[in-house]
Amino acid sequence: MKARRIGRTVLPYILITPAIVLIVYFKIYPICNTFLDSLTYDGSLSLGNFSTLFGDKYFWDSLLVTVKFNLILTPLQIFLALLVSLLVNADVRGIGAFRTIFYLPATMSTAVAAIIWNTMLNPNSGVINSLLGMLQIPPQPFLTSSSQAIYCIMLITTWIGVGYWMMFLLAGLKNVDRAVYESARVDGAGWLTITLKITIPMIRRTLAFVLIADTTINLLMFAPMQIITSGGPQRSTAVLMYEAYKSYFLYVDKGRGDAIVAVLLLIIAFVCAVQFLLINDRGEKPGKAGKGGAGCEKV
Amino acid sequence: MKRYRKLKTVLIYLGLCLIAILTLFPLFYAVASSLRSDTEIFQYAMPFTLRTLLPVRPTGNAYREIFLKYEFYRPVFNTVVVSAAAILFGCLINSVAAYGFACYEFRFQKPLYALVLFSFMIPFESITIPLYTVVDGLGWVDTFAGIVVPSIADGLVLFLFTQFFSDFPQSLFEAARVDGATWADSFFRILVPLSVPVFITASLMIFMTHWNSYLWPLLIARSPDVRLIQVALSDFRGAHTTEWSNLYAASTVSALLPLLLFFPFQKYFVQGITSSGIKG
Repeated sequence: MKARRIGRTVLPYILITPAIVLIVYFKIYPICNTFLDSLTYDGSLSLGNFSTLFGDKYFWDSLLVTVKFNLILTPLQIFLALLVSLLVNADVRGIGAFRTIFYLPATMSTAVAAIIWNTMLNPNSGVINSLLGMLQIPPQPFLTSSSQAIYCIMLITTWIGVGYWMMFLLAGLKNVDRAVYESARVDGAGWLTITLKITIPMIRRTLAFVLIADTTINLLMFAPMQIITSGGPQRSTAVLMYEAYKSYFLYVDKGRGDAIVAVLLLIIAFVCAVQFLLINDRGEKPGKAGKGGAGCEKV
Repeated sequence: MKRYRKLKTVLIYLGLCLIAILTLFPLFYAVASSLRSDTEIFQYAMPFTLRTLLPVRPTGNAYREIFLKYEFYRPVFNTVVVSAAAILFGCLINSVAAYGFACYEFRFQKPLYALVLFSFMIPFESITIPLYTVVDGLGWVDTFAGIVVPSIADGLVLFLFTQFFSDFPQSLFEAARVDGATWADSFFRILVPLSVPVFITASLMIFMTHWNSYLWPLLIARSPDVRLIQVALSDFRGAHTTEWSNLYAASTVSALLPLLLFFPFQKYFVQGITSSGIKG
C-alpha cells in the first residue's frame, strides 16, 4: 500500500471508522463470543461443553463424515479444475466460449444446484437412472442410500466447483511466461514432464490459495445436506456444519452448538496454517510467482 | 509433425466438448423440464428416449403457477431490494474506508489494515451461527437490516478498492486540495468517476453474494415477508416435493438473473474472483 501523506488530522480515522466498527462488531466479535460461550458451562468457566461433546458418539461420527468428505472432494475438485484449466489454456479457436460455459455452474447457488441434481438423481423417475438404463445399468438409489448419498453430494459440489477453481488456476497459468514452455520443448521435454516439472511448480502460489480456499469451503459445506438429505440416510451426510446447525436451531442446545463451531473454527485455522507452511516452505523464491499471480503473499 | 498437431487440436476439442456437455446437461434439463407438465415428465422418464429430455407439448404453466399460486415474486422482489441496499451501502462504506487507507497515512494504519485482511480470511459461513446470536441480540431477526447490515463491511471489497485507489498519483488530490476542495470533493468528483470498473466489480460481487446466499437468510429471515429467493426455493421443495416442473421453474428463475448479468459483465466477474485470489 502506497500511503503518501502524513495526516495530522482525524480525517482518515473518520473515513475508516464505519467499516472498522462493522467488521469488528459483525466479524471479529461473534467469533470471540462463541469461543467464550463454548468455554462457559453452567454459568462458569469450564470445559464442560467440550467434555460432553467429546463423549458424544454422534459428534465423532460427524467428524469422520466431514473428514472423509474433505479428503475425497478437495483433491478431486482441484485435480479436475487443474486439468480443465490446462485444457482451456490451449490456444485454439473459440476457447473463450468454452471458458464461459465451464464457469456457468459457478454463477449458481449451491441451493439451486442441489435441487436440480436431487430431482435428476431421483431413484424412480430421475433422468440419470434413465440414462443408466440405456447403458443396461440397473437403477441406483443415489441420495436415498447411506452408502451413496455422500458421493452424490460430492458430485453436485464438483459440478459447481470445478469451473470456479478453473478460473483461478487459469489466471495463474496466464502469468507463466510462454517462453519457458518453448525452451523446455526445445530440450525435448514432453507434455507430462512440462506440466509436472514446470507448470505446476510455477503456479504453486495459485494452487496453494485454491487448496486453502477450497478446503475451507468444503469444510463448511451445508446447503446440500440441509436441503436434500437432512444429514441422512443414517447420518451418512451429517457433517459438522449441519450438526452445529441442528444443535442451535432444532435441539436448542447452544452449548453443544458453540463447542462444535469452536472445533470447526480451530480445524479451519489448523488446515490453513499447515497448508500454508507446507507450500510456502518448499524452496520458495520470492518474485518468481509472476506479477499479480494469485497467491497468498500478503498473509 | 503437422499431422501430430492436427490430432492434438482434435483431442483438445473432444475434451472441451465432453466437459461442455457434462456442464450444460443439468442446466438444459432443468430449463427443458420447467416447460413441461409433471405428467409428461414422469410418463416419459423410463425408458430413456428423446422424449425424456425434450418437452412434447411445451407449456409455461409451471411459471404461471409458481408466480401466481405460490407468490414466488415476493422472495424475488425481497432479494432484489436486499441486494440493491447491500450494493449501495457496501460500495459507499468500503470505498470511503479504502480511500482513507490508500490516500492517507496515519497511526495504527498497518494493524487496522491487517484487521481488514484478517476479517476476509475468515469464511463467512463459519461465523453465521455465532453471528445469529449477535444479531438476535439486536432484535434484528426477520428484518432486512438483519440480512444486510452484518455483510456491509466486507474485507474483500475494501481490499479491492484499496488496491485500485492506491494506483492513483497523489498529485491528483494535491491539486484539488490546493484549489480548496474537501475530501468529499476529491472523493466523489475525482476518484469515483475514475474508478467505475472497480465499482462494477464490487457491485457484482456483492450482488452474487446476496442473490445466492442460503445459510444466513435461512437463519435470520424465516418469515415470508422477508424471505429471500434461495430459501424460498428450498422451502418450495420441502412443501411440494412431487411438483417437479414447478421446482425446475423456480430453480430456473433463481439461476437466471446471475446468469444474465454474467454475460455482459464477464470481464468484471473474472477480475473480481481472480483479485480475491491475491487476498490473504
